[in-house]
This record gives sequence, structure tokens and C-alpha cells, in this order.
Amino acid sequence: MENLKTEICGIKFKNPVIAASGTFGYGLEFTNRIDISMLGGISVKGISLNEEKGNPMPRIMETHAGMLNAIGLQNIGVNKFLDEKLPELKKYDTNIIANFWGKTVEEYTEVAKILDCSDVDMLEMNISCPNIKEGGIAFGTNPEMTFEVVNKVKKSISNKPLIVKLSPNVSNIKIFGKTAESAGADAISAINTLLGMSININTRRPHLSNVTGGLSGPAIKPVAVRMVYELYQAVDIPIIGIGGIMNYKDVAEFFIAGASAVQVGTANFVNPEIISTIIDDLTTYCKANEIGNFTELKGTLRT
Amino acid sequence: MKGIVLENKILNDKYGIICIKSDEFAQNAAPGQFLMIRPQPYDYIYDPLLRRPLGICDINEKKGTFSLLYMIVGKGTKLLSKIKKKTELSFSEPLGTGFNLTTDKKVAIIGGGVGIAPMTFLSKILHENNEVDVFYGGAEEKDILLTHIFEEYSNNLIIATEDGSIGHKGFITEVFENSLKFNNYDKIFACGPKPMLKAVYDIIDIEKIEFEVSLEERMACGIGACLGCIISTIGTDPNSNSQKRCCVEGPVFNGKEIIWETVCKE
Ligand SMILES: Cc1cc2nc3c(=O)[nH]c(=O)nc-3n(C[C@H](O)[C@H](O)[C@H](O)COP(=O)(O)OP(=O)(O)OC[C@H]3O[C@@H](n4cnc5c(N)ncnc54)[C@H](O)[C@@H]3O)c2cc1C
Ligand SMILES: Cc1cc2nc3c(=O)[nH]c(=O)nc-3n(C[C@H](O)[C@H](O)[C@H](O)COP(=O)(O)O)c2cc1C
Ligand code: FES
Repeated sequence: MENLKTEICGIKFKNPVIAASGTFGYGLEFTNRIDISMLGGISVKGISLNEEKGNPMPRIMETHAGMLNAIGLQNIGVNKFLDEKLPELKKYDTNIIANFWGKTVEEYTEVAKILDCSDVDMLEMNISCPNIKEGGIAFGTNPEMTFEVVNKVKKSISNKPLIVKLSPNVSNIKIFGKTAESAGADAISAINTLLGMSININTRRPHLSNVTGGLSGPAIKPVAVRMVYELYQAVDIPIIGIGGIMNYKDVAEFFIAGASAVQVGTANFVNPEIISTIIDDLTTYCKANEIGNFTELKGTLRT
Repeated sequence: MKGIVLENKILNDKYGIICIKSDEFAQNAAPGQFLMIRPQPYDYIYDPLLRRPLGICDINEKKGTFSLLYMIVGKGTKLLSKIKKKTELSFSEPLGTGFNLTTDKKVAIIGGGVGIAPMTFLSKILHENNEVDVFYGGAEEKDILLTHIFEEYSNNLIIATEDGSIGHKGFITEVFENSLKFNNYDKIFACGPKPMLKAVYDIIDIEKIEFEVSLEERMACGIGACLGCIISTIGTDPNSNSQKRCCVEGPVFNGKEIIWETVCKE
């Protein structure tokens, strides 16, 4: 497994494959299916200051090679997460990334402060959820607001590296990458879901109660690869590529475009064992192609 | 898990039943549980993407096989209906919380449409040591399937169709309501369209009769990770509902605890 070892913001990863937030629960849902200690890391379901109920049903709908979701960030709140879930998760040998969000700048900084003093390995701030009315994407689609919230969060923490998760629902993602970097982000993850919609033609109602939802899965991969490529040209901090990864070839594609690590999301629903298959296949790929370390692929696009 | 298809029988233009070999699956399944199944054999095809949830219709522990009854409604079930014998399919282990079984009781099983699927397995088990009446409803004769199984594994099989093409004419809930005049059931098990389940809830004296329902929600993961399948139930805190995952805490719920206004939309 030497060929997959890497380091991001000073944190050691046994491999660059991380489970994406919202698609892996709190990690514990998978422990009787795969050995979660073999993962590079787990980004847990988005945490907020208080427990959140999320949106009314229906919340999900399948689309061609993808799915729409409008879960609405249902979660148990930061305190319950730290009391009930984190101690269990820490029994496994993998990096825990605390994905978090807030409705206001103050909420973002409050949660960040609490998580910064906990046992998690990294923080990932979600400024890109398309499914909630307050906060979320509002911060991620306006450069001034992105700067303010990232900067305030960065100033309120002192222990853990800060990843900022970007929204693809913008016309120029480079601006947001640069803004997050200048506001103090230690790394960037991209992309969150693309805003989408689907309609039942018989009832003429939207398939989701929230009307719109976030599109994920293989359908969005080309958009995600393009955005990672653009970000790689714009920023110097590491980029974690996310969007539609289903197999080791997809991982390689993200690396060539400029990613330092990846997150696997919707694929976990399709096959809960898929991440372990991807990691095994990456090892085989490195050996077969005499690649000393997989990160050698990073940013090697020939144009 | 993986298993070989032993048989895939098209029952009529709406339904099919598929029998799959897997000792491990057959040994671990309980009535009311379901699985997530990929409706085609190739893992490099990403459309349809998600696995489909289907109830466990029947188990043969000796032969190490299980059956799924499916209604052909969209691309996943259409693909499933085209699967040939000897194809290898991949699927999850038995998932979710099934029915709480009873002994020495008089019970009624109510199934509407394809909601009859998990009731086959249930009635086989319950019939070993309970008195079991099965109420089976559908829109038309095509919806009434597997009656030979229920004839064997129930004390009474009562059928109703909305168009009257077989059995009583009307809703099965009406026939059931009538039968309550002559029968005292200890427990009711129901699966079917949500309005049917709500109707049963309204008919029975919920304080006196135990009532378990199997519910459906769209599912992405089936293992409690996506939070796409939430059912609202009455919580311990009277001011706030409890949120249960249909795929883990369900699909079988205590009918008394369901907040019917929130589930009855689809
Ligand atoms: C716990 C559980 C048990 C079930 N048991 C059975 C069974 O035994 N037999 C049977 O015929 N059907 C059953 N269903 C319904 C079955 O899952 C859907 O009919 C099926 O997924 C439709 O897939 P499709 O691709 O043909 O339809 P499409 O409409 O093309 O599906 C699109 C998406 O919506 C989802 N979906 C559509 N209808 C439903 C539905 N009613 N419930 C949940 N998800 C849905 C699909 O899974 C898919 O992700 C069950 C559902 C659940 C949740
Ligand atoms: C059901 C669901 C829930 C999600 N919840 C979150 C979340 O809580 N926080 C977050 O930052 N991203 C969330 N995401 C976005 C994913 O982490 C990921 O960025 C996105 O799905 C694209 O990757 P994929 O195509 O591999 O799924 C969610 C995605 C899905 C499908
Ligand atoms: S289907 Fe994902 S939590 Fe139930």
C-alpha cells in the first residue's frame, strides 16, 4: 500500500480515497460491510450547531446515471456527534473529517470552534449545500460572503486544517477557489452537487418536496473533472476532487486534472463495498504501471 | 452478495417473480425484510444507477433459494423482467427490521397490490402456530397472484378487486371492516398502498389490536446512510416527531406510532 500513501495539509493518509459527506452516514453504518480502517478518510454527514430535521419527504429521485437529493442536512448536532459517534469512529484507523455548516457566520464559527478542540483530524466547511433556505449555498455563490465566512472560521480555529467545499453552481469556480485560498483555506474540495430538478408529468409536481435538489453520481463527473482542472490552475493549496467517481479510473482522471485526493459519494449507495474495491484496484494499477506513488499522476495533464 | 437466477417467470403484463439461489441469503432472511438488488448483471453500467428495494416474498431454506415478486413499473423492474435464467445478479444481504411474529394468536394479514409480496413469507411462518386470515385486494384480477400459496398457508383467504373481476367487488378494507363484526383479531399485519394502510388504521380499535405495517419510501442506499427514506413517528418528546429510517428501523413499523399525515402523500 506504499504506492498510495500521501499527505494533505500535514495530515498523513494511507491512501487518497475518502468517503464523501452525506453518503457514508457517520461511518458506522458501513462497519459490518467493509473494514473502514482501510479508507484514507471519512467525511461525516454535515454537522451543525443544533440538531436539524431536514426537508419533508420525498427527498430523493433517481435520474439518468445520477440522482437528485434534497435531504436538507438532517443531522444530530455537534454535541451529540462528539458524544455518541466520534468515540466509536476513533476506534478505527482512518482520518475523520468533520464536515460542517451553519445558517449564519456566527453558527459556522461556533461549530468550527467546537470541532477544532475535538478528536477529528480535519474540518471541511460546506458552503455549497443547495438544499437549505438559509446559509449553505448562499455563502458559496457570492465571493464577498465566501471570503467573510471562510476568513472568520479560519480565525476562530487554531488546531485543525480547514478544507472549504465549493459549489459548482457558479459561473467561474476559479474566483471562488482563489477567494477561499486568500481567506485562509488550507485545502479545497470540489464539487458539491449541481442544482437540478425533475418533474412527474402525470401529477405535474416536482419529484422532490423541495422542488429542486442536488445532482450527484456519474452524470456529473465531466463537470467535476473540468472544475478540478480549472481550480488546479488557479490555486496553490491541495484540491480534493469529488463528483461521480465509480472506479479507480475515475480517481486517476481527477488526479491527472490536478486533485491531491478524492472523495467517493453516491457510489457508496450503488455498492457499499465500492470504496474498498477502488483502493485495491488503485494498488494493482500502480504495480502494473510501475508507479512508485499514485500522487505522481497529479496535474500531469498533457494539453 | 451474488446469486444465480434459477427462474424468472412473467406472471402477466404487470408482474414477474424471480427465484435466486443463495444459501447465505436464505438462511438469514426474516419475514418483512427486504433487499436492494441491481436489476441488471453488469457493474460497469451506471443507468439505472441505484439498486432497487424489493420485499422478500418467499424463502426455501432447504434449497437455499429466495423469491422476489415485482411489479413492472419503470426501467429497473422492466430490466429485471428481462433477466434470463442462469444470470448472476448482485444484491444486498436481507435488510431492515421485519415483522414481530406471534404464536397462538388470531391474526389478519392484509395485502394490497404488490404489497402482498412480503406477506407470502409472513403467512407461511405465521400459519405454523397461529390462526391466519388473509385479506388480499387489488384493482383487477391481474393483481391477484400466488393464491395457491395463501390457500395452503392460511385459514381463510378473502379476495377483493375494485372492478369485481375476482372476489368481492370493492376495496379490501371494506371487506375487512365487515369481517370485524364476526372476528376478534389479536394482531393485524398490513402492507400495500399508504391510503389502504391508513384506512386500516382508521377502521381498527388501535388501543385493543396490535397493528404492524410495512411502509415504502424511495431508497438510495438501503442501509441507513443517505437519510432519503425518513418516516415520521410519534416521539418520546410530545412537541417533536421522531425521524426513523424506513430502511433500518423499518420497513415494518408499529402502526400506532406512524404520523399518517406525513407519510400519506404519495
Ligand atoms: C422496503 C420496500 C419494499 C418493496 N417491495 C417491493 C416488492 O416486493 N415488489 C415490488 O414490485 N415493489 C416493491 N417495492 C417498490 C419498488 O422498490 C419500486 O417499484 C421499484 O424500485 C421501481 O423501480 P423502477 O426502476 O422500475 O421504477 P422507476 O420509477 O424508474 O424508479 C425510479 C426510482 O424511484 C424509486 N422508486 C420508484 N417507485 C418506488 C416505490 N414505490 N418505492 C420505493 N422506491 C421507488 C426506484 O427505486 C428508483 O430509484 C418496495 C419498496 C420498498 C421501499
Ligand atoms: C444524499 C446526499 C447527501 C449529501 N450530504 C452532504 C452533506 O451533508 N454535506 C456535504 O458537504 N455534501 C453532501 N453531499 C454531497 C457529496 O458529498 C458530494 O459532494 C456529491 O454528492 C458529489 O459526489 P458524488 O457524485 O460522488 O456523489 C451529499 C450528497 C448526497 C447524494
Ligand atoms: S435508504 Fe438511505 S437511509 Fe434509508
